[in-house]
Amino acid sequence: MSNQKKRNFQIEAFKHRVVVDPKYADKTWKILEHAIHEIYNHNASGLSFEELYRNAYNMVLHKFGEKLYEGLVATMTSHLKEISKSIEAAQGGLFLEELNRKWNDHNKALQMIRDILMYMDRTYIPSTHKTPVHELGLNQWRDYIIHSSKIQTRLLNTLLELVHKERTGEVINRGLMRNIIKMLMDLGSSVYQEDFEKPFLEVSAEFYKGESQKFIECCDCGEYLKKAERRLNEEMERVTHYLDAKSEAKITNVVEKAMIANHMLRLVHMENSGLVNMLLDDKYGDLGRMYNLFRRVPNGLSSIREVMTSHLRETGKQLVTDPERLKDPVEFVQRLLDEKDKYDNIISSAFNNDKTFQNALNSSFEYFINLNPRSPEFISLFVDDKLRKGLKGVSEEDVETILDKVMMLFRYLQEKDVFEKYYKQHLAKRLLSGKTVSDDAERSLIVKLKTECGYQFTSKLEGMFTDMKTSQDTMQEFYANHPELGDSRTLVVQVLTTGSWPTQPSITCNLPAEMSALCERFRSHYLGTHTGRRLSWQTNMGTADIKATFGKGQKHELNVSTYQMCVLMLFNNADRLSYKETEQATGIPASDLKRCLQSLACVKGKNVLRKEPMSKDIGEDDAFFVNDKFTSKFYKVKIGTVVAQKESEPEKQETRQRVEEDRKPQIEAAIVRIMKSRRVLDHNNIITEVTKQLQSRFLANPTEIKKRIESLIERDFLERDNVDRKLYRYLA
Amino acid sequence: MGIQKDRIKFNVGGRVFETTATTLANAGRNSFFGALFDENWDLNSQFNTNNSNEDCFFIDRNPDCFSILLDLLRTGDLNFPPNVPERLLYREASFYGLLDHVRSAKWGPFDGNQLRLGRSLTGQAPGDGTAIRAGPDGGCCVAHGSMVHVYDWMLEEHPPMNLDYQRVNDMGWADSESVVISACERLGSRDGGMGLFNTSSGELRYKFQVSHDNQLKSYTAGALSFSGDFKIFSSCKGRSNEYGIGVWDQVTGKQIDFFYESPGWSLGDADKLQWLHGRNCLLVATLFPRKDNCYISLLDFREKNMVWCWSDIGAPLTVDEKRVRDAIAMEESNSICVVNEYEDLGFIDLRITGGSVRWSSRSRLMKGNMPDEPCYPKLALHEGQLFSSMNDSISVFCGPDCVLTSRLRRSYGGSICDFSIGGDRLFALHSEENVFDIWETPPPPVI
Repeated sequence: MSNQKKRNFQIEAFKHRVVVDPKYADKTWKILEHAIHEIYNHNASGLSFEELYRNAYNMVLHKFGEKLYEGLVATMTSHLKEISKSIEAAQGGLFLEELNRKWNDHNKALQMIRDILMYMDRTYIPSTHKTPVHELGLNQWRDYIIHSSKIQTRLLNTLLELVHKERTGEVINRGLMRNIIKMLMDLGSSVYQEDFEKPFLEVSAEFYKGESQKFIECCDCGEYLKKAERRLNEEMERVTHYLDAKSEAKITNVVEKAMIANHMLRLVHMENSGLVNMLLDDKYGDLGRMYNLFRRVPNGLSSIREVMTSHLRETGKQLVTDPERLKDPVEFVQRLLDEKDKYDNIISSAFNNDKTFQNALNSSFEYFINLNPRSPEFISLFVDDKLRKGLKGVSEEDVETILDKVMMLFRYLQEKDVFEKYYKQHLAKRLLSGKTVSDDAERSLIVKLKTECGYQFTSKLEGMFTDMKTSQDTMQEFYANHPELGDSRTLVVQVLTTGSWPTQPSITCNLPAEMSALCERFRSHYLGTHTGRRLSWQTNMGTADIKATFGKGQKHELNVSTYQMCVLMLFNNADRLSYKETEQATGIPASDLKRCLQSLACVKGKNVLRKEPMSKDIGEDDAFFVNDKFTSKFYKVKIGTVVAQKESEPEKQETRQRVEEDRKPQIEAAIVRIMKSRRVLDHNNIITEVTKQLQSRFLANPTEIKKRIESLIERDFLERDNVDRKLYRYLA
Repeated sequence: MGIQKDRIKFNVGGRVFETTATTLANAGRNSFFGALFDENWDLNSQFNTNNSNEDCFFIDRNPDCFSILLDLLRTGDLNFPPNVPERLLYREASFYGLLDHVRSAKWGPFDGNQLRLGRSLTGQAPGDGTAIRAGPDGGCCVAHGSMVHVYDWMLEEHPPMNLDYQRVNDMGWADSESVVISACERLGSRDGGMGLFNTSSGELRYKFQVSHDNQLKSYTAGALSFSGDFKIFSSCKGRSNEYGIGVWDQVTGKQIDFFYESPGWSLGDADKLQWLHGRNCLLVATLFPRKDNCYISLLDFREKNMVWCWSDIGAPLTVDEKRVRDAIAMEESNSICVVNEYEDLGFIDLRITGGSVRWSSRSRLMKGNMPDEPCYPKLALHEGQLFSSMNDSISVFCGPDCVLTSRLRRSYGGSICDFSIGGDRLFALHSEENVFDIWETPPPPVI
């Protein structure tokens, strides 16, 4: 079989050499050339596809591929030259339409030519590395039409003029535009870029340079931004309508540069309408626009951020240092929260929740909150206020939000231990006076503090709650064991663990005989059940309810402090008592006694005692009587003690001192911890590490750290290196 | 059901065929039928396609072949009736633009364990064949002395190629249209070296030069390898210093790099080059008996250093002297497979330099009837299957342990001197009678 085939092959080859008519190629080519002409003249319907395909096939088969290819090139060239003339002749607006029509015709013709010459395209062209028919057609169109001297510049100018018209508000034929641009892209990306995109971008840059100059002279910032945004959107729309998608980045870049980057600072600082004014007036729309536009240019966002930060720091500084504002701590904190809310809103609704902006906001708050050393106290007072009364009738979720916000402010505090001190004091008062509104809210806040600062921070606070709970149980047990005391609980004792509660100088007073007997029974009961403990009475923190009958038989129940109770009980046995007598009988310290008498005798409407002489202040020589004319529309009367809500100056000093004292062991502990693990460390590194470790509680003062190091050296925990005095070694 | 709308009638060389446009659409756009129909596979209305009085379309071609091709479009299967010569069918398929369809229906996807002898071809060259290389489209080229014969997938012979009529050392397909030939130099002239040829015309397109100190040198090109990103590697021996591995750009034909041989290590004599895609380096093997010792190394051209090497210098010679005769890197298993003259396989670990060959004990299964003219074993790798030729047969090994799974043998033409896998075919060249075999996987079963 293979032999037979070989013979076949030879015979065929032999036949070709002899039989082929020398004029065969010319004749066949004439037919095909005629067909190409007819195709260009829209007369193809009379042509037989099968015959043409077969003819082209035969030419290639009989090694006339080159003649066929050259013929095609020549025929196409001559047609394109004619087409070029007819396009050149088109007048004015018809120019683009004529170009588009001819382009469509050419494409159709090209497809048909490629159909009939398919055999050549598949076999002859790849083996000779020539340009395929379709690509050839495009290249010729590019060279003879688009790059012809009379068309090239005219086409570019027409296109640019149309774009300009559209920019100035006229309506243009976008479909035609799209077709022409598509043609340039089909001819290769370099044709599109060189013959349209590059000049288009240059002209656009010029246009927007002029326009932005005009706008910035006459518009305010918000208006300018609106215009810039509209222009940007227009250009993006233009790209989707009739340009190459790859041009979008380039043209938007041009607009951004001309309209935003070049005027950035002027816009931000524009008088009466710049960024600061937008922030003051809560112009979310304008701010959002500014953010979105500035985001597109380098350094855009950072310039917004810088201006916002400095504005925020400035206003914040005013807020925390204004002496007027410091009068009411609750109002002070509320203002901080309002400010925070305002900027949170701006960042979330206008600045896309940008992390860098949030960070700037946080650092600004941290900066100015710590400018005022009383911030920790005020925040604690704010919480105190909320938990005492402010949260009544507020839903649980709202309570959580308020607490969360407070926690946020807390996070900004550098001196968290100062806050802890105050918080402890305020909490103790709340718990002991039973004034706290919601136990859940109290606990929730403690959990938040715990997650923020760790177990250590809240262990004492939690201890206070435990004490309250245990005291309840203890009382129950006490009365159960002493049924003779009856159901009415005359004495309620809260046993506080030393250390968990704010330390108070333990000053006792002489309790009335009725009370001291009861107290004694409780003491023996308690010490009987808990061996090895010591009980001391904190009479300065107690309260009492006493029933009183006044001169005309008015009966009232008076809610008073333990001290006040002691004073009032004296009047069971006397009508008139001098200050000296009272002091002697009760043993209450002078300042407390004065305050207590003041609240009993000098508060209008609640003066259960009368004083002689009548005056606002308590003198050493004053005398007191029961006020028989006392009236009140309520049965229960609460006699408040004159309390300083905000700390007075000496108290503040004292708290401060206590805080400083408490810090010392903490700093020392941190130093020892670090040195234990590092063994040898130089001074600067210790300072940084200690500061870092203690950051969650307070900002340690480097001089204080240095002092602690000295102290530790004295006590032989550390030693200085003999050679390098900056180095410390851990001993032990 | 109504009348099918896409029914169409053809009159081919006097015989009427009826089919549907859907069937013809299988031919694809780039075919006679693609041109005859428009995008929706309706008859192209721009031409006069009703070229006869009847309602059918006339084509002036062979009806027998048309029926075979129509069946190919209908079923995807190619069935040769005995009365139609293959060449005629190929000719007709070429007219309709269906050659690719015919080729892909002729044999199935390559599997070393399913190979059947497709055909055996006898060449007309004098002397022994030296090398055979499979092309990407199912064709091959065969080197005989100084001539290279090219066959396309239809096994039609194309014009032969030569490089100044110098002895051919190696060759390889750069792409489906071009072959690179490396040849010996002729003393005192610029002849020989390396050239890139067009396979359809046999014309030389580029001659690759070696320049040393800005002077062009004549050289002998040895083994070849291609990197896949248009780089060609060849071992080179020049007159003076040009011993080493040269690198050329396949597109421009220019030399882009040269790795000079270091003292005591042989590169210019290399028998085998293999580009390792995963490691981005080149395996160079110089084997006995070209040199007294065997050298295998991996070269990194970016750093210009030898990242791995092995040599049998100083290795104790065992009683049944085992000398490495061919080597092939298996990147997946991080090893190099080697073979000795008894077709024992051995493995060298690629991860550690200085390891030794771990010979597999599967030794000499068919020892005894040694042919008159033995050929050294050769190795090839294809998708995890390892092939090794020895005497008159090729063994197929599969799996991670390289288990012998198949053996291809045909006792005609003497022992196999070279073989090559490509285009889903295996070509084996015999040392005598100038015969080569084509092994193919049959098309998949009907069901």
